[in-house]
Amino acid sequence: MARIPLLLAAWAALASLFAADPAAAQDKPPLTVGAIYVGSVNDYGYNRAMKDGLEEMKKNIPGLKLIEAENVPETAESERIMEGMIQQGAKLIFATSFGHQQFAFNLAKAHPDVVFEHAGGWMQAPNFGNFFGATQTAWYAMGVAAGKMTKSNTLGFVVGVPIGYAIGNVNAFEMGARSVNPKAETRVVVTGGWADKAKEAAAANALIDQAADVVTMHVDSPATIIQIAESRGAYSIGFQSIEARALAPKGWITGLGFTWGPFMTATANAVIAGTFKPAMVRLGLGQGMMAVAPFGPAVPADVQALVTAAADKIGKGFTPFTGPVADNTGVVRIKDGETWYGDKMGNFDWYVEGVIGKAK
Amino acid sequence: MPRSAATLCLESALGAASRAALVTLVALGAFAALLTAAGKDPLKAYVDTIAYVFGNPYGFSELLVRMIPLLLTAVAVALPSRIGLINVGGEGQLYMGAWLTTAGALSLSDQPAYVLLPVLTLLGFVGGGLWALIAGVLRALRLVNETISTLLLNYVAPMIVGFFIFGPWRSPESASYPQSPAFVDAARLPSFFHTRVNAGLFYAFVCLLLYWLLMTRTRWGLEMRAIGGNPEAARQLGVPVFRIILIVMFLAGGVAGLAGMVEVTAIQGRLVSELSPGYGFIGFLVAWLAGTSAVGIVVMAFLFAVISSVGDILQITQGLPFAVVNILMAVILFIVLARRSVGSAAR
Amino acid sequence: MNAALIAGVIASSILSGTSLLYATLGELVGERAGIVNLGLEGIMLIGAATGFAVAALTGDPYVGLAAAALAGGAVNLIFAYLVVGCRANQLATGLCLMFFGLGLSALVGRPFVGALITGLPRMHLPGVGGAGARLLSYDMLVYLAAPAALFIWWLLFRTRWGLVVRAVGESPAVVYAAGRRPAFVQYQALALAGLLGGIGGAHLSLALTLTWAEGMTAGRGFIAIALVIFARWNPLWAIAGALLFGGAEALQLQLQAAGADVSPFVMNMIPYLLTFLVLILWGWNRQSAAPAALGRTHFGVE
Repeated sequence: MARIPLLLAAWAALASLFAADPAAAQDKPPLTVGAIYVGSVNDYGYNRAMKDGLEEMKKNIPGLKLIEAENVPETAESERIMEGMIQQGAKLIFATSFGHQQFAFNLAKAHPDVVFEHAGGWMQAPNFGNFFGATQTAWYAMGVAAGKMTKSNTLGFVVGVPIGYAIGNVNAFEMGARSVNPKAETRVVVTGGWADKAKEAAAANALIDQAADVVTMHVDSPATIIQIAESRGAYSIGFQSIEARALAPKGWITGLGFTWGPFMTATANAVIAGTFKPAMVRLGLGQGMMAVAPFGPAVPADVQALVTAAADKIGKGFTPFTGPVADNTGVVRIKDGETWYGDKMGNFDWYVEGVIGKAK
Repeated sequence: MPRSAATLCLESALGAASRAALVTLVALGAFAALLTAAGKDPLKAYVDTIAYVFGNPYGFSELLVRMIPLLLTAVAVALPSRIGLINVGGEGQLYMGAWLTTAGALSLSDQPAYVLLPVLTLLGFVGGGLWALIAGVLRALRLVNETISTLLLNYVAPMIVGFFIFGPWRSPESASYPQSPAFVDAARLPSFFHTRVNAGLFYAFVCLLLYWLLMTRTRWGLEMRAIGGNPEAARQLGVPVFRIILIVMFLAGGVAGLAGMVEVTAIQGRLVSELSPGYGFIGFLVAWLAGTSAVGIVVMAFLFAVISSVGDILQITQGLPFAVVNILMAVILFIVLARRSVGSAAR
Repeated sequence: MNAALIAGVIASSILSGTSLLYATLGELVGERAGIVNLGLEGIMLIGAATGFAVAALTGDPYVGLAAAALAGGAVNLIFAYLVVGCRANQLATGLCLMFFGLGLSALVGRPFVGALITGLPRMHLPGVGGAGARLLSYDMLVYLAAPAALFIWWLLFRTRWGLVVRAVGESPAVVYAAGRRPAFVQYQALALAGLLGGIGGAHLSLALTLTWAEGMTAGRGFIAIALVIFARWNPLWAIAGALLFGGAEALQLQLQAAGADVSPFVMNMIPYLLTFLVLILWGWNRQSAAPAALGRTHFGVE
């Protein structure tokens, strides 16, 4: 019985220790997360979307520490940066650009106690997972918007690197446009890199020269292209981040953006709880990773309704890539009864009818 | 009593070392001022770097990894400089070495390592060598100065690589990203002790040794230095200048091509579009600072590798773009340039 | 081949070639005074970053342009101090300057990445419409580019100052004997070169792309150096060279938009191969148009 006051005193002392130095209790963050970006987070595009997702994760998990590095090239350098973050205590690393995959994978093998999430790849390991948005079908909704808004029936699409996924985006875009405007055509210009601003400007100008009055893109940052379009009076549809609408107060129609926050929060929580399981996560519109941006002032209500309806359809599982689908030389590529989805999205090396350009 | 030769050597070595140390300190100070003005903490960055590079096995191993391409591209500059040629084409030669290596790795993927690796080494050398030879031929024929031609060729080489990794060598499994298929294990240059330090280090030191031997112990070295001093006189004396220009450029490009071969077989494991963060240009600076001495090249490459590590630390711990470390590099060089050349003959 | 394509190619060439032309003119002036500046890339980057940063801060692109020019001139004066004052090796110092520019521009530009600026305004020539409107609505720098080349030509070949500059490039000893100070003249030439290089860089960020990104000049500084040789150190030929290069760059994108089947990589190579061809032809011609004392070490083929 005499012990009780002693115990109470001990407990009080312990409690006061924490109370007196509140930082001590919060000194150890529940998790340290490292993130590398291939470009600058102020790009209104891909990197901004990643940053926004990470910030949301940080807000959702109080005390979480986030170490970031921007402009990390997709070379061996990235391995050094990630290793540096691990040495600073990071237990979860987001390698946000495709070209970081191999290097993140190398480190995953060397550090089995650290979890890696890579954006856009396919490699798997017990501590290595992959995630990305299923963008192709979502572009259909953008095509609907473009098809209705265009007056010249010419749409312009700037592609950075003509990979299968990007070509798939173009195809879905054109198919969406055609569904509301059978005369709509899409012209494609490839710049050869994900972030070559001078070429993007020239590409946007070239498309507008060829009478495109709606311009969109698949490059890291839509900023340059949207600004050129705005300065020349063309409409623009954004990609990567819905914040891009700030760049085109007059000509913005809508856009697609990634909403990585929920996924990142869930992953971080899983790592904290020790329940992480690697997976290849590809979620599309309506499934939490992608969103349609707010509409611009020039978009009439009926068009907005059409686009929203299309987005809903896609969220419920609709895909335009159901056969028969022919390419722009007339050859049937998706046979009757066949449906392309999932990994096949990386296999596009042909454009659908209505797209002016060669994919190979 | 006259001082012995050894004492004089030691004195001059110490003198050189202390001058180098002084230069570095001044440069670090200037850089620190800049960082402070940018609102960052330079002292912490420096301390972190020392800890990272010397107190951390990974940090130290990465230092060596960084040195390998620098050693090679520095030799690629030093060798032609002895005959008065300026090779700023290390970048392009590196890419073409990597390109030809990939051609070999992809077509001979069923060979065992002891066959494949020597072949790939040879291909890397030849790829870079032929690329430099273009500039060499143009110079030997007195058509185009090699500084300009190697500079222009730097831009064409990555385009050739890009064409191939988008087209004929596009990896089917990563149709979503332009790169070649991964090399088979037999085509991978081995690394040591679970680090990325690889056999390329061995290549680099062999090249350095050969370079030193060539310049100081052979007749060709003598001939080359004669040309470097006075080409017209050398020609009159019967030195085959034309042939030597071609050979030297080929060898120089070959060494840079080896850097490319190391990059794709040891580090990347495939051909990708971004192979070099300016190794060719940094190699030029290394060679120039080293005064084309083999030992100097090692010391300077080490210095630049440490500086690059500062860039890593700045990026990870202080949120500055890596490119900022270029300022530090440039300031060191500015100081050396300002001090060295007063009164000395043009190099 | 339609009218839109032709108009587009011409317009793109002019747009693309403008920054090249200013940079080439700058390098040309410096080389006429006997100095090779391999660090032009760094000067252009500093111009681009400074111009963008100041434009973002002040909201006025013209102020940004002025700042870019001044920054370029100031940094080139550092280069001048090293190569003229300290007699440092020009090529090494030039490459060093390139790295310096890479780093400094990254530092200066970093807080402003993603900033939205009003770029240099496009000025439409009154009374022109249709395809002409596209061809003739550029920003001020474009309209002033060819006149700038003419001005530099006049400066170098019709003024006393230009005469002295060229004399220094041919033989500094003679100039010295004539009672002038070659070093002072070289400083002036390099200051002008820096101004022009900074303007060339600023055009990229303030007019062409309206953004700033690390390393955005993508080698244009080196192309400008080659163009100086292409132009045989004559500012009027520099116009042709800049148009050619700007055109080649823009052509493949315009062709794509028009639906032609071209490989971007092959097309990207063409400007460089063309420059090579021209350089070889000039070399074949055996007349060295280069200033005799260029580079102090020879920049020739002997």
